Amino acid sequence: MFLSVLGSLFASMTSTAHAADYALRIQVKELSRDASGKTDNQPVAGVSISVTDANGVVVGAGETDESGVVVIPVPNKADYTITLDESTLPDGESLDPKTPAVQQVVADSFITNTKVISYFTGVSQSASMSGFEKVAQRLVDGVRLGLVLAMCSVGLSLIFGTTGLTNFAHSEMVTFGGLAAFVFNVTGLSFLGFLSFLPGIRDDGTFHIFWAAPIGIAFGAGFGWALNDGIFGRLRRRGIGLVTQMVLTVGLSILLRNFFLSRFEGRTRPFREFTLQEAIEIGPISITPRDLIVSILSLGILVMVALGLRYTRLGKATRAVSDNPDLASATGIDSERVIRLVWIVGGALAAAGGIFRGLDEQISFDMGGRLLFLMFAGITLGGLGSAFGALVGGFVVGVMVEMASLVVPTELKTTPALLVLILVLLFRPQGILGKAQRVG
Amino acid sequence: MGAERELSSTAIAARAALSGVAREPGASKADPILSASGVRRDFGGITAVDVERVEVQRGSITALIGPNGAGKTTLFNLLTGFDTANSGVWTFDGRSMEKIASHRTAAMGMVRTFQLTKSLTKLSVIENMRLGATDQKGEKWWNGLFSGIWKSQEASNTERADALLERFKLSHMRDEYAGSLSGGQRKLLEMARALMTNPTLVMLDEPMAGVNPALKQSLNEHIRGLRDEGMTVLFVEHDMDMVHDISDWVIVMAEGRVIAEGTPDDISKNPAVIDAYLGAHQGRSLMEEEA
Amino acid sequence: MDWNLVLENSLKGFIGINAVYFAVAALGLNVQFGYTGLLNFGQAGFMACGAYGLGMTSKYFGISMWWGIPLGILFSVALGLLMGIPTLRLRADYLAIVTIASAEIIRLIVRSVKFKTYFGGSDGINGFSDEFRKLGNSFGIEESAQYGFWPFRFTGRELWTLVVGWIVVALLGFLVYKLMKSPWGRVLKAIREDEDAVKSLGKNVFSYKMQSLILGGVIGTISGMIFALDRASVQPDNYSRDVTFYILTALVLGGVAKVSGSIIGPMIFWGLFTFMDNFLRQVAKDPINIGNLTIMNSTQVGQFNYMLIGLTLILLMVYRPQGVFGNRQEMAFDGR
Ligand SMILES: Nc1ncnc2c1ncn2[C@@H]1O[C@H](COP(=O)(O)OP(=O)(O)OP(=O)(O)O)[C@@H](O)[C@H]1O
Ligand SMILES: [Mg+2]
Repeated sequence: MFLSVLGSLFASMTSTAHAADYALRIQVKELSRDASGKTDNQPVAGVSISVTDANGVVVGAGETDESGVVVIPVPNKADYTITLDESTLPDGESLDPKTPAVQQVVADSFITNTKVISYFTGVSQSASMSGFEKVAQRLVDGVRLGLVLAMCSVGLSLIFGTTGLTNFAHSEMVTFGGLAAFVFNVTGLSFLGFLSFLPGIRDDGTFHIFWAAPIGIAFGAGFGWALNDGIFGRLRRRGIGLVTQMVLTVGLSILLRNFFLSRFEGRTRPFREFTLQEAIEIGPISITPRDLIVSILSLGILVMVALGLRYTRLGKATRAVSDNPDLASATGIDSERVIRLVWIVGGALAAAGGIFRGLDEQISFDMGGRLLFLMFAGITLGGLGSAFGALVGGFVVGVMVEMASLVVPTELKTTPALLVLILVLLFRPQGILGKAQRVG
Repeated sequence: MGAERELSSTAIAARAALSGVAREPGASKADPILSASGVRRDFGGITAVDVERVEVQRGSITALIGPNGAGKTTLFNLLTGFDTANSGVWTFDGRSMEKIASHRTAAMGMVRTFQLTKSLTKLSVIENMRLGATDQKGEKWWNGLFSGIWKSQEASNTERADALLERFKLSHMRDEYAGSLSGGQRKLLEMARALMTNPTLVMLDEPMAGVNPALKQSLNEHIRGLRDEGMTVLFVEHDMDMVHDISDWVIVMAEGRVIAEGTPDDISKNPAVIDAYLGAHQGRSLMEEEA
Repeated sequence: MDWNLVLENSLKGFIGINAVYFAVAALGLNVQFGYTGLLNFGQAGFMACGAYGLGMTSKYFGISMWWGIPLGILFSVALGLLMGIPTLRLRADYLAIVTIASAEIIRLIVRSVKFKTYFGGSDGINGFSDEFRKLGNSFGIEESAQYGFWPFRFTGRELWTLVVGWIVVALLGFLVYKLMKSPWGRVLKAIREDEDAVKSLGKNVFSYKMQSLILGGVIGTISGMIFALDRASVQPDNYSRDVTFYILTALVLGGVAKVSGSIIGPMIFWGLFTFMDNFLRQVAKDPINIGNLTIMNSTQVGQFNYMLIGLTLILLMVYRPQGVFGNRQEMAFDGR
């Protein structure tokens, strides 16, 4: 039943989808501050931009619109040179030295299918970031990524702890959350248009992100429940071995990811709200209100999870089962019930991670897959099977990856996570918070 | 009770060598093949093993008994390198063993079996046996391709394996998957396989659990036979009849410590041992455990 | 519908170069996963070692392409050590995690701008395979001539890689078969079931696992070389996580722990895949609708096919973990 609802949800995604293509999104803004000293950047319209490929062939050109943006489609992810015609800038304006007229884009910097390039005019207040500012800014980005990773990893680690299963489809649970929220937020479900008397729900059946996010999380919880009760619970009862189950999660991952791809297509798309926001500057760092809210919310959720694990009966039971399944069931804990809970909560948290990541970076069919290996690094660092370990480990890996981009090229910023993974396994295989493995 | 029977010359020698040994925990033996002191292993809160001193006389059959959870299996794990002790030193044949990896201990002649049987179910019985042979030329990958190099060694190993299977009444299962053996047969197979390594010290963790009484008698013969061939046997067992029947010496553990040592007769009269077993089970089968 | 074309392509898919390089990679994976129980989820990383070993001969070193073969093998041995040393003493899951991570990092490194001079960035490397083609010519195979009969019609260029490829498959298949029949193979199979038992018999389990990981990895490397030679190019995105997963699917389709399984599996995989692809492309020339809901349009055929792969793997795991032709008692891989 649940799955059929889902099916129809995703089926409708294509109705607003366009052909997948790559594009450069170029924005031109005037740096300025209002009377009170807050940043108040204004879009600059009518600026000519041209894009040439590596062979110097012009692949596209355009003028910025009133929001200061021009989107130039490009054939594929490749290296491009973007040239801004300075003579088309408004009188008296000049480019900020930080953003010269000619900018290079390398293929690898296409994180998503749309690469955003910014030009600033006027005189920049922070013409060059100091070392300290850079560190502070990376730290903020790292905290954001770390919170998302921590959230996504809890379920992965607890599923491992309670059932012994390494779930390679966990990344798809993350994507699922993002997409479910996207369906409600952007695609819309026209048959729900009658709800438009409620604030934040529109006639076309699209929901404000404040609705869509919790709905997406609820769907994530349902998805976790469905996977356990529909597949993995049955396999456990049939005594199917863990390696078989693990290979099955690989199949599940292939299936889901390609399903997402076929319905959502290869592009990345943002949620409807909060797409363009001006950063607020707090001391050396700048953060958009959206990111601030997301960070505070994620932190709140994580604290709740931690408290729940620590103080509620079910939370304690979960940790007990994760610690030692045999012992726990011998002491009368209903481990199947705990496992179901873990799948549900894990699914919800993965979905929340997906949605928050989507607010941060936009939605794509593979957004979870790109986090998978970082999640693994996090839970290994924290200790496979430990919930608190996943929280700490995920967070540390997130911060570390962003901080790493201070010293290594951004495209390689995830490499240190592998290094950490290897070092942890060499010197403390049980992780920071895990217990030593049982032997014999 | 063990029937009156004639003792073999090695049995007489072993018992003679042990007759002068003090009946106390940690007693020193005349010629110990294995001696350990200060061995300790904690699991979180519980101390599973805390053995001050223990020695095993060369050429004897020594039984290690104790209630469930006494730490017998854990001690086996520690001594054979399958687990890491928190502290302690031990020697085998005069060589210090604390830092030796488990596969090296086996190669040095100290082989053990497991309480929870580990038969390799998807190999045939005879392949299980062949695996046990040590120093096989064909186990080097660069030799693997050239069967000429290892064929003759394989043949002689097979011969030896067949003889052992015969002894353990498994010949008729020779070409079956080990997975199709019964629980008791798996115990036998594991023991036979361990003997393929030509050990000097055989450590058996509950070899008789689940083996039928008739076969037990003949297994007892085999274990005596091992001693008569010059091996030392250390085994864990809950069946007091069997302990009484074949062992030359008994070491009793409880709550991780060695609480008593002596000949089987001494032990069955020792009040500390009776206490450890709650008195109730003394003299008969204390506890049968399914593998 | 042009059934003739669908059939021709499917039959070619059955023995085509994709089946070849999958079969080689699956053989390697079989050594690791099927026989030893090692969860290598980074076979694509080993394949990249081979492909880039070849590519770097022209791109960076400017030496004969043939040096690429030892170079690629060297890379994969190093990769095997990197993956194996931290994990092979620990429980099996860690190897899966580290291999999947290493393969991903390799892909990021070879496509990076930073190391473009070595690996060619996201464009990859082209134009290193002339010597290979010339060798084909010297055997009298004209690159652009047509050879064969329906349905197996190939250009000389295709034919040459196919012939070399299948010879390599046969040789490696024979090698793995012999090794697994030897006492060495027996130790691996025993490790798959219970490594403690093997340790207790005096075998250095760590070392055997490492040998298995590296042997399987080197075979994977050879697969990457065949693929690169066929394409005459090396592209970083051909070595993604998914490639490993598809190879795994092809392997379990044929059945693990059997040499025949790792050759037949990829053949069925690509035969079926090509068939479905051709078939669906013809069917979905116009979008297939139910009501106003589009079930599939032509751009979704590929994804639909990949979904089928995922579904196949799931169903295999639930109903036939020993593969289509396998014998459960002998081959289901869940020893533990
Ligand atoms: N891996 C482990 N983790 C935690 N506790 C353990 C572990 N192994 C053993 N123990 C504990 O150590 C104690 C000794 O266990 P051990 O298996 O050595 O007993 P035993 O004497 O062999 O008992 P039995 O006669 O039942 O086989 C027990 O209390 C057990 O719970
Ligand atoms: Mg025991």
